[in-house]
Amino acid sequence: MRALRLHRELYEAKAVDEASKMLGAYAELKREDDASHFVISITGQSPARERKVALELANHALTLSRR
Amino acid sequence: MAALEGLPPELVSADLADLSATVTIDANLYPVDAVYGASFVLIDRCYVLLDKTAEGRLSVTLTLKKATEDSAASLRTMIGELANELLACAWRIKIQAENRGLIESITMRSMAGAMGAPSLDDLESFDFSSEAFEDPLGIALSWEEKYGKKTPPAAGDDPLAKVETPAKAEAPAKAEPKEGA
Repeated sequence: MRALRLHRELYEAKAVDEASKMLGAYAELKREDDASHFVISITGQSPARERKVALELANHALTLSRR
Repeated sequence: MAALEGLPPELVSADLADLSATVTIDANLYPVDAVYGASFVLIDRCYVLLDKTAEGRLSVTLTLKKATEDSAASLRTMIGELANELLACAWRIKIQAENRGLIESITMRSMAGAMGAPSLDDLESFDFSSEAFEDPLGIALSWEEKYGKKTPPAAGDDPLAKVETPAKAEAPAKAEPKEGA
């Protein structure tokens, strides 16, 4: 399991959810927020898959946050 | 985490096994919008992750999408491009803020011009009676308003009759011929 932390002041919640929905087919994604960050738990078939999904999720969330 | 050669270790750290490097940015020097703008330039070649540190500084983590023969050199290039783009974006934002009024004015004028000439209905409903400005000295008055319009002369009047001719000078007396001349 891998956790991706996205800062609340830099990423929009809606963008994070939308990006998670887009990549949900490639890994199991679960959002558990803390005070300053959106925390997405990523569980995939392999650590390499989890890494790839986490990196893609960050890029998608950034793009959607500034659209 | 290791330092990248040629880059300040207090600002840039790299994880070559993970093909990633993290840059710390002073938010007082570069606005957040500049960081977003610079990140988008690299988003096709890198994975970009933004974050805020406890001290309120911004961090940008770049991860190469594809491993190269010299990952350190590739990361150094990406960090250099990010720094250049940061500067360019910050400068553009500053210029935009300073010239916002001018840009809006030009845009409004071009939009108004694109709307075309006013229709007859627009002209009919336009209030021409409102005075555009105060004119205490009467500068904007026409000649007729200021001095009154001259009435044209009647048909039978001789315009030259009223003109006073100067008195004819009396002819000098003829000199009498002198005797014995």
